[in-house]
Amino acid sequence: MGRKILLVEDDAETAAYLAKGLSQEGHSVEQATNGQDGLFRATDGSFDLIILDRMLPALDGLSVLKALRAARIETPVLILSALASVGDRIEGLEHGSDDYLVKPFSFAELLARVNALLRRREARIDPAEHRLTVGDLEIDPLSRTVKRDGKKLDLKPREYLLLEYFARNEGRVVTRTMLLEQVWDYHFDPGTNVIDVHVSRLRRKLDDGFEKPLLHTVRGAGYMLAA
Amino acid sequence: MPTTLRIALLAGLLALISNFAVIGFIYLRTHDEAVSEMRQQVVEQDKVLSDVYRSGGQPALLDAVQDTISYADPQSIVAILDARGRERSGNLGGLSEARLGEGYHSTFVRLRGQTTPRRAAVVMRRLSDGQWLISGRIAGEGLAFKQTLESSLIVALALAMLLGLACGVILANYVGSRVGSIVAVARRISRHDLTRRVPVSGGGDAFDRLGQQINAMLDRISGLMEELRMLTDSLAHDLRSPVSRLRSAAHSAAETNDPAEQEELLGSVIRQADALMRILTTVLEISRSEALTGRKQFTWFDLGELAAELSEMYEPLAEEAGVTVEYYRPDRRAPLYGHRQLLAQAISNLIENAVRYGSAGGEIQIEVKPDGNMTRIDVADRGPGIPTELRGEALRRFGRLDSSRSKEGAGLGLALAAAIAHLHDGELVLEDNSPGLRIALELPLRPNGDEDSRAS
Repeated sequence: MGRKILLVEDDAETAAYLAKGLSQEGHSVEQATNGQDGLFRATDGSFDLIILDRMLPALDGLSVLKALRAARIETPVLILSALASVGDRIEGLEHGSDDYLVKPFSFAELLARVNALLRRREARIDPAEHRLTVGDLEIDPLSRTVKRDGKKLDLKPREYLLLEYFARNEGRVVTRTMLLEQVWDYHFDPGTNVIDVHVSRLRRKLDDGFEKPLLHTVRGAGYMLAA
Repeated sequence: MPTTLRIALLAGLLALISNFAVIGFIYLRTHDEAVSEMRQQVVEQDKVLSDVYRSGGQPALLDAVQDTISYADPQSIVAILDARGRERSGNLGGLSEARLGEGYHSTFVRLRGQTTPRRAAVVMRRLSDGQWLISGRIAGEGLAFKQTLESSLIVALALAMLLGLACGVILANYVGSRVGSIVAVARRISRHDLTRRVPVSGGGDAFDRLGQQINAMLDRISGLMEELRMLTDSLAHDLRSPVSRLRSAAHSAAETNDPAEQEELLGSVIRQADALMRILTTVLEISRSEALTGRKQFTWFDLGELAAELSEMYEPLAEEAGVTVEYYRPDRRAPLYGHRQLLAQAISNLIENAVRYGSAGGEIQIEVKPDGNMTRIDVADRGPGIPTELRGEALRRFGRLDSSRSKEGAGLGLALAAAIAHLHDGELVLEDNSPGLRIALELPLRPNGDEDSRAS
């Protein structure tokens, strides 16, 4: 179902590319090309998500974000910026953004993050789920136990966190960097396939011996847990 | 005005002023002394004569006047004038400019038999019968010494001025030549010859210290320039291969008609672009760390916990490569004030490096050693290691040891780890693990001079 997204981006080409892609996904996209206009539109609070560039005319992205949070507008914000260092990302998150994506980015990565943020919005509105289920998979976040087809799976703590994150984003693409950021809380880009190895280990424990696989690889984007 | 001339003139002027002060002092003293000595003589002579008058009256005074004229030196003046100033006795030819009046006078008088009035010191006294007693001395001889002295003082002054100027020229030439050598070096450097150095005499004077400082500064600058040149060269060089791979993949994708192949090639284009971005991001991260930005994000955390977490994270990857990861937990907490994210990246670079090059040896050991004000984290492998003479090279940005190590991104990882160590006022150390390589991050518990940490 479509959502309302505010896109604050001064680069016309990037803005057009994003607006087109997000519209094709069924979202309605409103655009602002400078920080002041962006802040003005964002304050009506009716958006489900704000995609915010950092280097903007009139008012920079971090100031927009600060003003929004100061006005108690809690709309999820995804910062999209060419400021790529670890320090820049931490700075963005510390200013109250919900996610930080570095330019250049793949649209698949952006979409995965947008969907995760919209999903979190849903979860916040819905009553807390005590139990996560994906097909015949059952996850109990309180006791941290996992059963598939009634059979208990023996997962290491990190494997459990990985699976829980997948389950909370059921049916949505999760990228490698999202996993590194959300499950491990690291914000650098590893030069190796360290995340893939963890996912494939989890997949072995999860899917080996079952006819229908749950953890899928999405080419060029990441992974998805779906029944 | 050229500097040399200015220095010479300044030195000459200073010599002149100081000599003038000394000579002036001598002049004033001798002048005063000569004058006061004469005055004393004059006053004494007057006193003797007035005593004679008081005890012997007019006749005794006239005798005394005649005696004085006969026996005293020819510079003496003595006379008795009547109330209207006409001379009754004595050797005074005329009062010239002088006017009658009680007391001491420094004035001009004419002696009898002479035509020109001469400077004299006289005492005039009105006697009880209304006559005037004049006694005194012609100044000429008494001040002759003073005059010779004055003229020699003027010669001395002229001499002092010449000597001062000469000293000034010598001094100016000396300073000029010492500074000149520095200027010459500076000129060569501004013409892009950074190899020149200021000659140092070894005397340890101010010029030597200046020269040494300039040389140290030049060493540092040329080191940085060399590093920058290497960086630019290797960046340009290292970007060539991914760019050319990217170009050929894009080109092939445009040429082919097979959709499956095209998709494969376009995927490769994206991967190459990502690899390029990764190189650029790492280079950016290195220069950020070297510039010490990011200290604002320092926090206290446990380095042992972080290392344990990363060991666990890389354990599966290492296993796939055929190595085990052993983490040796320290026996106590290892708190550190630093950038957790960047240190995580540095440590993960070390582990990735060990997995990549040390996998032949079968084991990677990771150990955190808190020791007083320092904490050390070791990542050791059993691979081929790096020979001592090549270790410096390995830490340079883009420094690649040989073709076997030139897999994608190699070299940059260690350079970034070293830069992150510097951000924390620490060091990246390469050691022999005999066999294998041990890389250590040596970090102080908190960096020195960290204003932010003290403020918070």
